[in-house]
Amino acid sequence: MAPSVLQAEVPIQQLGDWLGPNDLPYSLPIHPNLVHFTIGLFVIAIAFDVVGALYPIEKRVFRFLALPITRAGFHDVGWYNLLACAIVSFFTVATGFFEMLLAVPLPGVTSSIGLQSMETMLWHGVGGVAILLAIIAMTVWRGYQRFLWRRDMGRQVQWLYLLVGLALFLVIGLHGTLGAELAAEFGVHITADQLLAHGADLRDALP
Amino acid sequence: MQQLLPALNDHNLPWMDTIHPIVVHFVIAMAVISVVFDLIGVVLRRPNLFEVSFWNLLFATGAIFVAIIFGQVEAGLADPYGASRTILNLHSTLGWSLAGILSVLTGWRYVLRNRDPETLPLPFLAAGGVLAALVVVQVTLGNQLIWVYGLHTVPVVAAERAGLI
Repeated sequence: MAPSVLQAEVPIQQLGDWLGPNDLPYSLPIHPNLVHFTIGLFVIAIAFDVVGALYPIEKRVFRFLALPITRAGFHDVGWYNLLACAIVSFFTVATGFFEMLLAVPLPGVTSSIGLQSMETMLWHGVGGVAILLAIIAMTVWRGYQRFLWRRDMGRQVQWLYLLVGLALFLVIGLHGTLGAELAAEFGVHITADQLLAHGADLRDALP
Repeated sequence: MQQLLPALNDHNLPWMDTIHPIVVHFVIAMAVISVVFDLIGVVLRRPNLFEVSFWNLLFATGAIFVAIIFGQVEAGLADPYGASRTILNLHSTLGWSLAGILSVLTGWRYVLRNRDPETLPLPFLAAGGVLAALVVVQVTLGNQLIWVYGLHTVPVVAAERAGLI
């Protein structure tokens, strides 16, 4: 049997006095709240560029609804929402890494897609950086289309751009599932789950 | 009511994960960014940002009703305990109120936009500020339900089924 290199002391214990029962220095994690903005802004940005691209088909529908529209308006949503998404997502990833460094997943758990906690965190961490890079690349690509390549065209985006955007919906959906499992299955940064794991009675600990 | 849903899993849900927190991405992000773009549009005199705000606000209003539908089903299956019962009641009440507020704001904005899409009256900007503040309160309440009380997380559901909570 190979000698174990695992230490008896868990490094996070060095911060014991600084951290609450949820293993964070504050009660509500920041990363999941910034995720609302990364996902919401990205999805709506692509969705409105799709609406802008299909403008010739749908303009009768909007006229029927008495809702005045401009094609440039739809593409403005596509551009500004993506730009905002790119800016926010740096902070989403930064807070994600801070909070993952402090994560204490519950032992002995296998997630509903069959991964253990360390695998889930590695995929979610590396995937998060990859998705940030993809968002930055999409924003640069979108900017080139808006200000240079398609500046004088009604349809401001290439079909390939929309296709890549829709493919990223799937990647982000899977990635978000990993993040949700870190919380709801591995109990990361959830006060009640961590208290239960330490044998507390929630009737006393969380009245 | 429960007979209408598939069997419940270890999250006490008829589906894999909670859906309400996914739908609220589109309420939170779109409502807040709408207010932010309105503010930037006024300060930097960029009226095309008002159009971006309008569509985001309209989308937030549509999304909040979907969020409420899933929120009500998942709240009904949540088995809140201790102080989380009060928090869930407040979260539900404010959720329905925000649906009303968002609808009124969207209607007001539709009229303003039809009259003159290039300007935004200051009272609307102030109403947007109130909206953003209420969204922050609502998000904080929802955060407490999951991050403090762990509703619908596997350990809490297991403890409740074992009669420990």
